[in-house]
Amino acid sequence: MQALHSSLRWIRRSGVATQLISLALITTIFFIGTAGKSLTMSNIQVILSLTAIPAILAIGVHMTIVIGGIDLSLQGVVALCAVFTGTLMANKYTTYDVGLWIIPITIAVGGLAGLLTGLTHTKLRIPSFITTLGMSFVLYGVAVYINKSQIVSLQDDRIQNFIHAAPFGIANVVLIAVFVTTFVQFLQDRTPFGRHLYAIGGDEALAKQLGVNVDRVKTLAFTLAGCLYGIGALLLVTRMGSATSRAGLNLLFPTITAVVVGGVALTGGVGGAKNAFLGALILAVLNNGMVLMAVNPYAQTAVNGVVLIVAVALTIDRKKLGFIK
Amino acid sequence: MTVQTTFGAQPVLKMIGIGKRFPGVSALRNIDFEVRPNEILGLLGENGAGKSVMTKIMIGIHQPDDGEIQLNGQATKLLGPVDAIKKGIGGVFQEGSLLPNLSVMENLFLCHERDFMQRGVISRRAMVQEARRLMATMKLDIDVTEPVSQFAPAAKQMIEIARVLWLAEQYGAQNPIVILDEPTTVLNDGERDTLFEILQELKQRMSIIFISHRLQEVLENCDRLHVLKDGDNVTQIPAAGMQVADIERLLVGSEFSGDRFRETDQHTPDGDVVFKVEDLGLRGAFEPLSFELRAGEIVSLVGLIGSGKEELCACIAGTKSHDTGTVWVDGVTPAKGSPQAAVRAGIGHVPVERREEGLALNMSVMDNMNHLVLDRLKTAGAIHRRKEIEHAHEWVAECLVKTPTIHAACSGLSGGNQQKIILSKWLSSNVKVLILDHPTRGIDIGAKDEVYRLIRKFSKAGIAMIIMCDTLEEDTGLANKMVVMSERKVVDVLDAAPEHKPTPTDLIKLIV
Repeated sequence: MQALHSSLRWIRRSGVATQLISLALITTIFFIGTAGKSLTMSNIQVILSLTAIPAILAIGVHMTIVIGGIDLSLQGVVALCAVFTGTLMANKYTTYDVGLWIIPITIAVGGLAGLLTGLTHTKLRIPSFITTLGMSFVLYGVAVYINKSQIVSLQDDRIQNFIHAAPFGIANVVLIAVFVTTFVQFLQDRTPFGRHLYAIGGDEALAKQLGVNVDRVKTLAFTLAGCLYGIGALLLVTRMGSATSRAGLNLLFPTITAVVVGGVALTGGVGGAKNAFLGALILAVLNNGMVLMAVNPYAQTAVNGVVLIVAVALTIDRKKLGFIK
Repeated sequence: MTVQTTFGAQPVLKMIGIGKRFPGVSALRNIDFEVRPNEILGLLGENGAGKSVMTKIMIGIHQPDDGEIQLNGQATKLLGPVDAIKKGIGGVFQEGSLLPNLSVMENLFLCHERDFMQRGVISRRAMVQEARRLMATMKLDIDVTEPVSQFAPAAKQMIEIARVLWLAEQYGAQNPIVILDEPTTVLNDGERDTLFEILQELKQRMSIIFISHRLQEVLENCDRLHVLKDGDNVTQIPAAGMQVADIERLLVGSEFSGDRFRETDQHTPDGDVVFKVEDLGLRGAFEPLSFELRAGEIVSLVGLIGSGKEELCACIAGTKSHDTGTVWVDGVTPAKGSPQAAVRAGIGHVPVERREEGLALNMSVMDNMNHLVLDRLKTAGAIHRRKEIEHAHEWVAECLVKTPTIHAACSGLSGGNQQKIILSKWLSSNVKVLILDHPTRGIDIGAKDEVYRLIRKFSKAGIAMIIMCDTLEEDTGLANKMVVMSERKVVDVLDAAPEHKPTPTDLIKLIV
């Protein structure tokens, strides 16, 4: 009894109770709807692989939502990183061939983009919504300018082989996502930087008054988000074996949906990396299930939109908001 | 009055000749203030007397324009809350300064996580241990890993006090000072006793500045009192031997000038009843009550914060929805909980937060003034530019608004002029009842007199008014009738005709 009580308490405190229940619910629905096909070993592998990259991107975006902001620059950053990968890895157009150095390079490019966004936001005091929206187009424009919308086949397939390999029974790409989740969650739980993210999200003016270096923490959050987009971009490009600026398209909507479905409040201050991961997982289960049940693709898009709005409705106590902008 | 500087040790904090001005108002003038070691000092004054500006100077949120601050005999500057706490001064304010989404211990040690780092990461165990120790000194038995939003106000206060003490300890402050702003308003009797018990213990190693409107508890628990009035020193005196009545006299002041509120212009209403509330009640805020207003009658609602008068006005203005009873305006009962319906019925509301709620700051004087009468300024269905300008000019002249042009944005005007614009907006419309929520808050004496003139003039013209003022004198001076509220109930209704105004001292007895 005591054990049950304390584990219930743990679930309540963990902030992922709603997500675990939703996950169980839709898994059950699809299990019945597909007559068991959705929970075969191979389909679980598929779902997890579908989760990995969106989860990493969602963790990036969620960093900026936790501090009460938002990051819409995701698509621009991913496009730029993808183009860097296509230019610097071995291919038939250029001669750079940096080999595995591409890993730190892409992360650094993403990080620098994030740093630039963060500094613009904090130093020029421009709302994150506008800064990141503008930055998205700037970076996407640069990416298209460099890449000229070519599709560059990569001739170095070491990373591609690594992320598809599954030495532990699960594809490495999934392990990378799990590692990223754990790492960021650890930062959030156990470092002053992490705790200050939540202080800012709770009440920025108050946090500043209490001595939190608000500008530095925010800039760092955007930088870290940028690094994660870099990792996501590298994985996206190498998984496909070809790089193009178009890799950045259509990522923003599913990523923000994942963050919100995971229970990260758009008002800030609530939810961690594990929430973003679970959000991505729930969306993967949902979309995979709809494919298995042969739901009309247009209807699938609409379902995703409904999910986003319902998730916000469930996470925000809207009665407390005076007005909606 | 003389400032007594008899007994006691060298003061910890000394403020000499402090002055502070805000655009259009001088909030503090030549204040001398001191805090001695190991004392509980009661800081008293009515709303607007300057207590909150004083405390904000003490924690470095405001910088004084004149005067000097000394800590342990050394001149110093307090650059902000973080700097103040390093020097041993911290505050616990009504609005609270805990982050609701963080746990108790995270709040306690915010920005001092480094003290709990082991091998580069925060040791939760060390944090829990230290937090528990602090909570034990506050006699508080709570789970320090729970988010702060879970706890009652009493516990939150203790957590904040504990944080100030811990920080002062970390920075090695000898005799820290904690400012407690109205700590008892959110406490029940048991919690209040516990608070005072703890304060008496804490006094052994610190000083406490205690702000409260409840004079009895101030007298029982403070060692010394400092009374402010209208931004001036009134006196500082030992609390021993004082009676509540003595303090009341100090708070209110002895002088009672003849025509400060234009009492000679007071109009005795003899018209029809234009406004009634019947059995109006809101659970938890105020018990069902009734009163009525004749055309041109001014009724003042008096009572402490929490007496229910604020919520009563909110229900009448439609920003809150009442549970029982009705509001009636000249034959119409507006739908409850709808500000729009209230305005349509003829209820106007001049809010206390004028910059946030009363005006569209970025819009021009003309746009703000004409807001409610646009229908009248139309020709063939479209707003007529010339009529608009004429209407605005007429009311700028009527209310003596000082503005460069009618096209200037309201944000650039002084508080007094902003208030006149809000008044003219309502007065030019077909308002029948006007709620004036602290109509002279934060505006200077000249502008106050202008507001009084407008109140008198439009009361004669038949507009009924419900007022809540900064001081009891103002309430008494302006009103025809006073409705006294205490503990969510109407306790008395007093007549306030010019020749026999109730005295503030009578009123304080009813209120407290």
